[in-house]
Amino acid sequence: MKAGWWLPRSLQARLLAMVLGLVTVVWLCAAMLTWVDTSHELDELLDAHLAQSAALLVLEADGDEDDVGDIPFFNKYTHEVGFQVFIDGKLITRSPNAGTTPMSTVTDGLSTVRMPNGANWRVIGVQLPSRRVQAFVGEQLESRQAILRALLRNVLWPLLIALPLLAIAIWWSVHMGLAPLRDLSRLLGKRRPQALDPVVLQDMPDEMRPMVGELNQLLERIGGMVLAERRFTADAAHELRTPIAAIRAQAQVALGAGEDVAQRSHALHATLAGCDRATRLVEQLLMLARLEAQGVRSAMPVNLCAVVRRVAADLAPAALAHTQSLEVEGEGACNVAADETLLGVLVRNLVDNALRYSPAGARVLVTLQPCAQGVELRVQDSGPGMAPAEIQRLGERFFRVLGTDQPGSGLGWSIVKRIADVTGADVQIARSELLGGMAVTVVWPT
Amino acid sequence: MRILLAEDDSMLGDGLRAGLRQLGFQVDWVRDGIAAERELASGVYAAGVLDLGLPMKDGLDVLQALRARRIVTPVLVLTARDAIPDRVRGLDLGADDYVIKPVDLNELAARLRSLIRRAHGQMQEVLTCERVELDPSARQVRLDGQAVVLSTREFDLLHALMRNAGRVLSREQLEQQMYSWGHEVESNTIEVHIHHLRRKLHPEAIQTVRGVGYTVWRMQVAP
Repeated sequence: MKAGWWLPRSLQARLLAMVLGLVTVVWLCAAMLTWVDTSHELDELLDAHLAQSAALLVLEADGDEDDVGDIPFFNKYTHEVGFQVFIDGKLITRSPNAGTTPMSTVTDGLSTVRMPNGANWRVIGVQLPSRRVQAFVGEQLESRQAILRALLRNVLWPLLIALPLLAIAIWWSVHMGLAPLRDLSRLLGKRRPQALDPVVLQDMPDEMRPMVGELNQLLERIGGMVLAERRFTADAAHELRTPIAAIRAQAQVALGAGEDVAQRSHALHATLAGCDRATRLVEQLLMLARLEAQGVRSAMPVNLCAVVRRVAADLAPAALAHTQSLEVEGEGACNVAADETLLGVLVRNLVDNALRYSPAGARVLVTLQPCAQGVELRVQDSGPGMAPAEIQRLGERFFRVLGTDQPGSGLGWSIVKRIADVTGADVQIARSELLGGMAVTVVWPT
Repeated sequence: MRILLAEDDSMLGDGLRAGLRQLGFQVDWVRDGIAAERELASGVYAAGVLDLGLPMKDGLDVLQALRARRIVTPVLVLTARDAIPDRVRGLDLGADDYVIKPVDLNELAARLRSLIRRAHGQMQEVLTCERVELDPSARQVRLDGQAVVLSTREFDLLHALMRNAGRVLSREQLEQQMYSWGHEVESNTIEVHIHHLRRKLHPEAIQTVRGVGYTVWRMQVAP
């Protein structure tokens, strides 16, 4: 989920803005409803008062034509109300602030009138049925609005005071609530890169538990990887030291052989073989390192048949020298979408292994054919094969089958597995039904 | 001196065996942990060179099993595992020395001689017995300060006797200490070598204990 551009990036600011905005809107709605409702009720009440006053005036004035004159102001509030009484169209009595002409043209009922002084008045006119007596009672509208304004002020003032207080309270509680997050970032900031023990936070809120849990699981996985790498480094050092120790020992034997030509020659040959072995091991380690760094990626289709034939042509002379036979059987279109070099390395490792661990006179058969899932490559040999337990351990780096004199590093199989992963293939090892030795089947789905 | 080499790598094992033979050791070579334990337990070896990453049974397990059986044959661990905890563990489990691959053959031989010497309670490398002096590293023998030329077998026989001075060794024990596998030993070979030694040194250099074996008396520590 992506936050909108209008949302502040800070959680604290976001929460603050949302809560304060909501409170203000709710409060303003309440104020508006109060205004509408109160003004309606007030109008009704005050209009009723006007009507009542006018009715009283009319009844009082009926038949009492002599009381003519102005009524003095009783107090300052009487400015806001006024009245007039007419009998037979003649003004009998009025309040000082009412004019001498009728206040309103509406003689029977409510009306709002603009007075000569510019003020708006609410006026009620009342007549006796005989139409002899006519009374007007008016009231400044402004006074009604003053009441409403006062009311509104009292509703809104607390809001103005409460909002900043609320803001402070929210800011503070959010700040306190986010303290564990700050603790966590401080804790993570102080960690050494090698530290892979789980992060432990005192008084962690429930909301943070999943995050810290995931973090710890990630650390655990990284720890496992680091451990595997360390073990690999140790194993690699071991594997490199052994050929170097052998080279050194053989070289010293050659030096100390003296007159014994046969011994010196044997030792020198062994020294060279040791160098070849160390070279091969370093090459394989580099290949493996490059493969580890390489992620799964797609590539253009490659004709696997051509790759297999090329590898077989490379390895055939050595096989023939050991009186081993190497055959390739391929049919149909065998295109695989993968890097050609990687495919070559995979095929070479499989065929080389089959030749290497099979005795002289053995047969190695490479078959290539389309299958239900895609393209199937199978390398079989008539060698001694492997026990199920050994097959299980295969692919642990540097694992080598016992009792073999071949100077393998145990890395070839790791490389095969890795290339299969990278090119999306599936690898199976079993006993060869046809030849009795090992059968390695690699399937690339299409 | 007959030693057992336990190393699974064929090229390194071959080199070590040839090199140690050049330096005067009788070397038997095994390639797995179970064979190593069995052979070291036989007691015929003056010392063992043990690789740790052995198939069937790890070198450290072999060492632990041997020490648990109170077999005190000196063992030199030769390994690529160079981490301090590994070394400490190896030494604590009963290794007498811990050497990291690759190793110089001369150094390996010197360390083996030192191990064997210490196992026999000697402080000095040169063995002295009355008028006879034997220097194992130079493979030299002197009688009254004069160098005496001995054949390899004669030297090994004298060395075995002088290493065990004061103890009577049977003919079988001497054969076992002198000959590695694959050497046919004639029934009277030891007698012939004893005869030659007495002739080259002096008649009382080696005593015969009838029906038991041979011995050299009193060993003196050189000043």
